[in-house]
Amino acid sequence: MSQKINLRVWLKIPDAEAATVKNTLVRRMGFGDVLYDVLKERLFSIEVDSGDPQELAKGFAKELVNENKESYKVLIDELRFEDEYVPVLVSLKIEDGEAISTQERLRGRLGFTSVVNVKKATIWKLYLHGVDRVARAKEIAEGLLINPHKDAYEILGE
Amino acid sequence: MLFELIGILQRCTQLNIIGLADSDVESNLRGAGIGMSVQEARSIAEVLGRDPTITELFCYDAMWSEHCSYKSSRATLKEFMPTDGPNVVMGPVEDSGIVAIDDKWCVVISHESHNHPSQILPNEGAATGIGGIVRDVNCMGATVVATADPLRFGDPYGPKASKVRWVAEGVVDGIWQYGNALGVPNIGGDIVFNESFDDNCLVNVVSLGIVRRDQIIRSRAPPAAGEGGYDVILIGKPTDASGLGGVTFASEALREEDEETNRGAVQIPDPFLKNVLFKANDDLFRLVREESVEIGFKDLGGGGFTCAASEMGAAGGFGMEINLDDMHKAGDFPPEVLSIAETQERFLIISPVHLREKILKIYNEDWDLPNVYEGARASVVGKINSGNRFVVRHKGEIVCDVPIQHLTGGIRYQREERPRTFNLVEPETQEAADYNAVLLKILKSPNIASREHVYRYYDTEVMGNTVIRPGEADAGLIAPVRGEKFGVAMSVDSNPFYGRISPYWGGATAVAEAMRNVAAIGATPSTITDCLNYGNPEKPEAFWEFREGVKGLSDSCKQIWLKGYENQPVPIVSGNVSFYNESPQGSVDPSPVIACVGIIKDIGKAITQELKAAGDRLYLIGPRFDELGGSEYYRTIFNTTGANVPIVRFDLERRMIYAVIDAIDEGLLASAHDISNGGLACTAMEMALVRPAKFGLDLELDNAADAGMRTDKLLFSESSGFVLEARPGREGRLVDLLRSYDLEPMEIGKVSRKRRIVMKRAGVTVADLDLDEARLAWTSGLVEAMR
Amino acid sequence: MKIAVVQFPGTNCEYETLVAVKAVGMDGEIFRWNRSAGELSSFDGYFIPGGFSYQDRVRAGAIASKEPVMQALTEEAAKGKPIIGICNGFQILVEAGLLPGTGKVEMALAQNVMVSNGKIVRRGYYCDWINLRHEAPPRRCSGSFLMERGSLFKIPIAHGEGNLVTSTPKLIEMLNDEEQVVFRYCDKNGRVINEFPVNVNGSTESIAGICNPEGNVLGMMPHPERAFFAWQLPAFDPRKQRPDEPGPGRSVFESVKRYIEVNA
Repeated sequence: MSQKINLRVWLKIPDAEAATVKNTLVRRMGFGDVLYDVLKERLFSIEVDSGDPQELAKGFAKELVNENKESYKVLIDELRFEDEYVPVLVSLKIEDGEAISTQERLRGRLGFTSVVNVKKATIWKLYLHGVDRVARAKEIAEGLLINPHKDAYEILGE
Repeated sequence: MLFELIGILQRCTQLNIIGLADSDVESNLRGAGIGMSVQEARSIAEVLGRDPTITELFCYDAMWSEHCSYKSSRATLKEFMPTDGPNVVMGPVEDSGIVAIDDKWCVVISHESHNHPSQILPNEGAATGIGGIVRDVNCMGATVVATADPLRFGDPYGPKASKVRWVAEGVVDGIWQYGNALGVPNIGGDIVFNESFDDNCLVNVVSLGIVRRDQIIRSRAPPAAGEGGYDVILIGKPTDASGLGGVTFASEALREEDEETNRGAVQIPDPFLKNVLFKANDDLFRLVREESVEIGFKDLGGGGFTCAASEMGAAGGFGMEINLDDMHKAGDFPPEVLSIAETQERFLIISPVHLREKILKIYNEDWDLPNVYEGARASVVGKINSGNRFVVRHKGEIVCDVPIQHLTGGIRYQREERPRTFNLVEPETQEAADYNAVLLKILKSPNIASREHVYRYYDTEVMGNTVIRPGEADAGLIAPVRGEKFGVAMSVDSNPFYGRISPYWGGATAVAEAMRNVAAIGATPSTITDCLNYGNPEKPEAFWEFREGVKGLSDSCKQIWLKGYENQPVPIVSGNVSFYNESPQGSVDPSPVIACVGIIKDIGKAITQELKAAGDRLYLIGPRFDELGGSEYYRTIFNTTGANVPIVRFDLERRMIYAVIDAIDEGLLASAHDISNGGLACTAMEMALVRPAKFGLDLELDNAADAGMRTDKLLFSESSGFVLEARPGREGRLVDLLRSYDLEPMEIGKVSRKRRIVMKRAGVTVADLDLDEARLAWTSGLVEAMR
Repeated sequence: MKIAVVQFPGTNCEYETLVAVKAVGMDGEIFRWNRSAGELSSFDGYFIPGGFSYQDRVRAGAIASKEPVMQALTEEAAKGKPIIGICNGFQILVEAGLLPGTGKVEMALAQNVMVSNGKIVRRGYYCDWINLRHEAPPRRCSGSFLMERGSLFKIPIAHGEGNLVTSTPKLIEMLNDEEQVVFRYCDKNGRVINEFPVNVNGSTESIAGICNPEGNVLGMMPHPERAFFAWQLPAFDPRKQRPDEPGPGRSVFESVKRYIEVNA
């Protein structure tokens, strides 16, 4: 029976990349009136075919999360996000070499043989005012967060 | 006044020491998270005449750590090391040493370790290592022009292989991700794998800068600072809690169960902010020149704000008052955190008040730090005075008020030494029947194989100064000033296998090899730096190893001489001591990692190691001795260490180095490669295997040793020497030149058009390898070891 | 003749690029990102040098492409002035829609993938000297104005994201047909082999540089400023023995100069 372990990982220290994205959206792209904050998470979705998912998740986190500067949360077979922002999931639509390397590392060097698939994504958490939040989130995704020739995006919980 | 001061002090948190039993003091200290000894704490209370505050104890703890104060090592360094010379502009007194290239230009060099952090968090640890070292060089007013990373990892095929590979991969990633983004080329470095590094990797880093002699900036409060009430200006990243206690952590042995807590002591580096800061610093240097004023400038590294500020004040002979409320910070942190956190990407300026607005404008407006990195900026945080106290205020309270010279003076320990004794024997070995197989196995060994897999991750070309890049020769070479013909060469070296057998010869051979390396491209050794990586100095055996190493490397510097100055040592202008490289499983092999800087007057004369033309004659200098202790051959083929470690015959070594430099200067050589790991066999093969790998070798070994020497010893002895490819038609002159240095050139064969490596002795073919098969073995060894 | 070398926070090749600009006899200066963008109109040509603008945040070139200086450069490009983007500069031009030149983002420079015999042998950042073949006819493109079609160049690359990919139908065909492919990776004899190490980053059809339809805007991954003098060449290149001679990258800068003279 296969299960999907989702690791949501975020920085405990200020996220310079999210700050830059916000800065560009507000100062350069005219979203100042609707956008009041941007945060970011890394998401690992790791499919396993056996084992206790909570225990495995701890082992994965030891390898994938830099506890010096990051925190994480484990979700098994589900992916929930808080209501106050629009979560935009951005992933590579071309082959994701880093995800493949991560999978090889988990399986090979670290001996997590139950791992059958690893996917990586970035979750942009867009804190937006107004009623057409999803429409604005799409504009932001297409205008800055992705290059459609290599990335795909998805507004989660839509 | 005094009464008032005591009144204020009592309102902030003090730690009770006076009048308490040792055990209570101990538990108070540990309870507060302070690592210093009870004795040290008592001596501080005595000098202050009261119980110290928490902030004071944290400041002392950082400043008196091994890392900042060299408390165990200083006496030994002073006893043996030559630090002065005719070319020395600044010895090891500030963050970097400086030697002259000519009347106008100087090289700035610094050498550090980032071992512990890299073992815990390889990526950040290695990146921070580069980040710190380039600040050390930049703060002398220099342009940072090169870095190099000597790395030591555990056994990639041993019991801890997966951890070892995780560390190795992370370290290499950290180096390229930081260095490439910063925009400083990586022109050298080395990697050695050995099981003594299984739990303690070594990540050393060397950085070079270039500065005009009349534009050097000092890391001290300038002479007018006290009377002028100069500003203390902090620039860069907002202070946070990262790297808290980094120096204390670097001064303790690593235990696996502490890993989680130790992670908090690793700093978070940011090459992007650093890149912008460096450019802003250039504008600061320009401003200072235009205004003809002297400032003090220093980077914040180990010991954080307190270390940089107090050392600059103390070096100028002044006191200072700091207000932590004026510091830009990433949150509300207690004063001891703000004082000693090792937040990266920060510098401190001590400058006249009339420049204040101009300096703030450079950082806060021209280079727009607040918009480049959230919370980054330049802030005036204090003032220099003509007193002698280091006073820190926080939220209206005085949290620290101590004699500044006492704080920076540190303490000294006379450590005990005792020779480490263990049984070393030379093995009884059978000469190999199939040399082809032996050669292929050695070529593929992780310690011999091509380093290309790693250095392709490094930007070796940025700045456009690179003349000789990693893999092309024994040393890297840059031409750092456009319009000038001179070049600056750098090489790093240290062989832990030799150090294990003899820490003295480990030190001596490291210096000799690093010098041979720069000589092999035609550069003259100009200065040495060292990063001395040893175990716990409180253990007499480890301290003995350290002293032996220092003696050995100092003797090489003293005996090989600065070329052109008889009896004058090659000076050691910078260095670092890294103790406590040990875990409960034991300490690392003695590793005095040496960097040698060489100068060549005309980069057009520099040569590399790849064979140039079929038919060229090859010469060996440096007789072969039965010195296979610690050799690649013993280790890879017989899995043993042996006892006969290569020694440095100082007089012979000097003559070889000088002769090679002169031969290259005269244009007699087409290529050259020094003999080290893997002996004559690997040295010669590498000349054929390195790109473009167009030619083979026809070696006739009869001249290389007496007939009595076994062929395997001849091929794999790691006694020092060089293999030289003569330029056609210049052989006679080359032989004359070598003889004028009292050297006996041994002709050992020719470059061949056939793509084969052939070795013959007494008419018998010893080995006959296909060049491409050899190249495959040589280029795949490291890839497999790091997979 | 005055050239602006545009500097973003994180750019790290501006100084050597300026050296090259001046060495072929053009005036030039470094133009910091927060200067008034309007001042750009007083220049005759532009280089966007390599580095990590904004630390490659979001993806290489994305943030810089939204800066006011890029708006201004779009206007200058429309006037036919030459703009050369090198490495990160190329990435910025793609993200800004200046290349391939429709005003839209038509392609991406994705993470390197080194493929040999159908297997991925390596990924990520790579620094080495490689060979380039000039694909366009002479005078087609500002930055290769003086180069013959088929001429070969030894030049260094140093990037992690130079793998040209596109999902725009027929884009590659159009680039080929319109002679907008300026450089391809090749071996030392000029053969294009779509496999590592000749195709060093997995780029579609080994494309290393392209220009816009008008030819005035050029983006290239390799670094001509690092191959400007013969002494910069790798050890095994025979020209290294003549250190004072020009290096292969010099012709990019001379081409820009000539292009400006001809179009003045």
